[in-house]
Amino acid sequence: MSNLTSRQPWAQSSATFKLQLAIVSTIPSVIGLLFVILGNLDFSIGLIGVFLPIQVLTVAAFGWRKAKRRGLSDALLIFFTIFFSTLVLVLLLSVLGSVIFEGFKALSPHFLYENNRYVGTTTSLEYGGVGHAILGTLLIVLLTTIAAVPLGIAMAVYLTQSQSKMRGVVRTVTQSLAGLPSVVAGLFVLAIMQFTHIERSGFTGALALFPLMLPTVARVAEESLRLVPSDLRMAALALGAPNYKAFFQVILPAAKSGIITALLLGLARVVGETAPLILTINMNNTTNLNPFNGPIASLPTYVYSFLGSNYSSSQQRAWGAALVLLIVVGILFGSARILSRKKSLKTKPVKKAKK
Amino acid sequence: MANEQKTGSPEVSKRKLSSGPLSKGDKWFFRVTSISANFAFVLVALIVVFLFANAWPTLSSQGFSFLTGSNWNPDAKHPVMQLGPMLWGSLLIGFTGVLLAAPMAISAAYLIVYLLPKPAARVATTIIDLLAALPSVVIGLWGIAVFTPVAVNWAKISNQLLGWIPIFHVKDPNAAFTDSPFIAGWIVAVMIVPIITSVTREIFSQMDDGLINGALALGGSRFSVFRRVIMPTSSSGIIGGILLGLGRALGETVAILYVLQLSFKINFFSLLESRGGAVASWILARFGEASNSEFHGLMAAGLVIFLVTLAVNMLASFIVNRAQPWRKN
Repeated sequence: MSNLTSRQPWAQSSATFKLQLAIVSTIPSVIGLLFVILGNLDFSIGLIGVFLPIQVLTVAAFGWRKAKRRGLSDALLIFFTIFFSTLVLVLLLSVLGSVIFEGFKALSPHFLYENNRYVGTTTSLEYGGVGHAILGTLLIVLLTTIAAVPLGIAMAVYLTQSQSKMRGVVRTVTQSLAGLPSVVAGLFVLAIMQFTHIERSGFTGALALFPLMLPTVARVAEESLRLVPSDLRMAALALGAPNYKAFFQVILPAAKSGIITALLLGLARVVGETAPLILTINMNNTTNLNPFNGPIASLPTYVYSFLGSNYSSSQQRAWGAALVLLIVVGILFGSARILSRKKSLKTKPVKKAKK
Repeated sequence: MANEQKTGSPEVSKRKLSSGPLSKGDKWFFRVTSISANFAFVLVALIVVFLFANAWPTLSSQGFSFLTGSNWNPDAKHPVMQLGPMLWGSLLIGFTGVLLAAPMAISAAYLIVYLLPKPAARVATTIIDLLAALPSVVIGLWGIAVFTPVAVNWAKISNQLLGWIPIFHVKDPNAAFTDSPFIAGWIVAVMIVPIITSVTREIFSQMDDGLINGALALGGSRFSVFRRVIMPTSSSGIIGGILLGLGRALGETVAILYVLQLSFKINFFSLLESRGGAVASWILARFGEASNSEFHGLMAAGLVIFLVTLAVNMLASFIVNRAQPWRKN
């Protein structure tokens, strides 16, 4: 499916074709680069004004030569597909690259564990760090997780195990909750705080992250529970097990890695949320290990507050904290990916050797 | 009617077939899960109720002009809070972002599903999903420090080449190019590409193989298969994905705050001029110094953006679910 040309002998290409293809796809970029370097042309102008027209023309001509109109449209389709996809890739690499490059300048061991007690906007980077923000983020997200993960899994169970007619509506509402603007989650908790007179603390921050984490966990957990073959559940039920035993003893172990993936992706979703935390917690510079009382720091708000000032050391701190945040997200995301990979390997039927 | 023939005697009532949880444990199991599932409704209701209660002072005093007017003066004797330019700006940025993101996302999905070999496709999928996991504050940081200079360049080029088109027209070059809806649209596009891609990829990969091979066997080319087979069958799903992206774009807060100059001088469609609006960013920008009356105004703004995104998202997930019948149990 992913590769239409496999097992299609008529789609095999000859060596000359490959050579022509290579020439067609390199010449325009070489010309564009020459214009940029020798003609001292701006890169963007070179890309849009020189490379793109030449590349489109050569690709179109190549396609036309091969198969007239059909070849032309095919060649253009493939070219634009690759062009736009490359654009996505370049944008992503640019984000990752700049954060890693700029962030590494600020990164040092003490940056990771010291707090910002005596740090102002102009303090040099030899002092202070994001230790308190890491701890604060961990505490806030931990509180959110304790509430959101069991509830999300229960929702997923309802969506996959029960026979209720409401499932479609619940699914739609949950999915649209997943698109809840993060600032609205913050305002919501703020309104609750007005009503109940709760003071700002890590707890209110966790409360604001909760509606953002819940739908993610529910959706991913639902996907993973759906992957468990229904035969397993039916067999358990047929053996006389009640539904809850079938779930806890058969389905949950089978979907274990998927559930952990749901947890990790939910964490990755909320760990970088900024707006709700700005609205619901008071930031501080020192370590606070009590999420129920007093101001507390977090990584996203740390980035936000230091980016606001124009001093280069503050900017550096923002980049450093962004890198730390990115590493945290990367670890969560990477382990989720590895877990789900293992899962998919397990469920795939073992291929027998053909010989 | 045919029904009357079947049921000869009207007295025979239909046997009620029902199955329910048998044991006590099961009853509790289903009770707990259904309560948690219904919590989704409760959450939406709570959000609406709490926001509305706090927004009411503003909504009642400003009336309908809260949405249409363009003035924000909460601390005057008669506070005026009218969100028009911000709301329009959110929509403008959202649509710009979607227009930029949709071609990239569809291309990436087509590349992943139909062109790349399996291992490379898996890597590409991971990359796209990673893009989805990037926090918006990081994107904002990148947007202001790295992307803005590049995008200003692009904006200048498109102004020179296409300045005769109203959307690329610039009145005063000194108040243009930086902090414009154009840049905000690009930033938003970066954030919604992965959402649209993952929905589109899912739809593409569930496409009937026989349909495609049949079209190829009938003499179709790659392009004609794409145009006549793939797009028609998957268009509704793709539209759903695009709407999901639009919902996300409308609610984007921090990243836009960095790269856009918020202004109450309404900017209808001059993408390149340095003024625009975004409701969510406005809330965050004003929040720190808000007085009591402005607090209610910001709550009302939150309610508005919540209802708009909720409507867009509901429509989107309805369409996406309809377009993916294989996901029904």
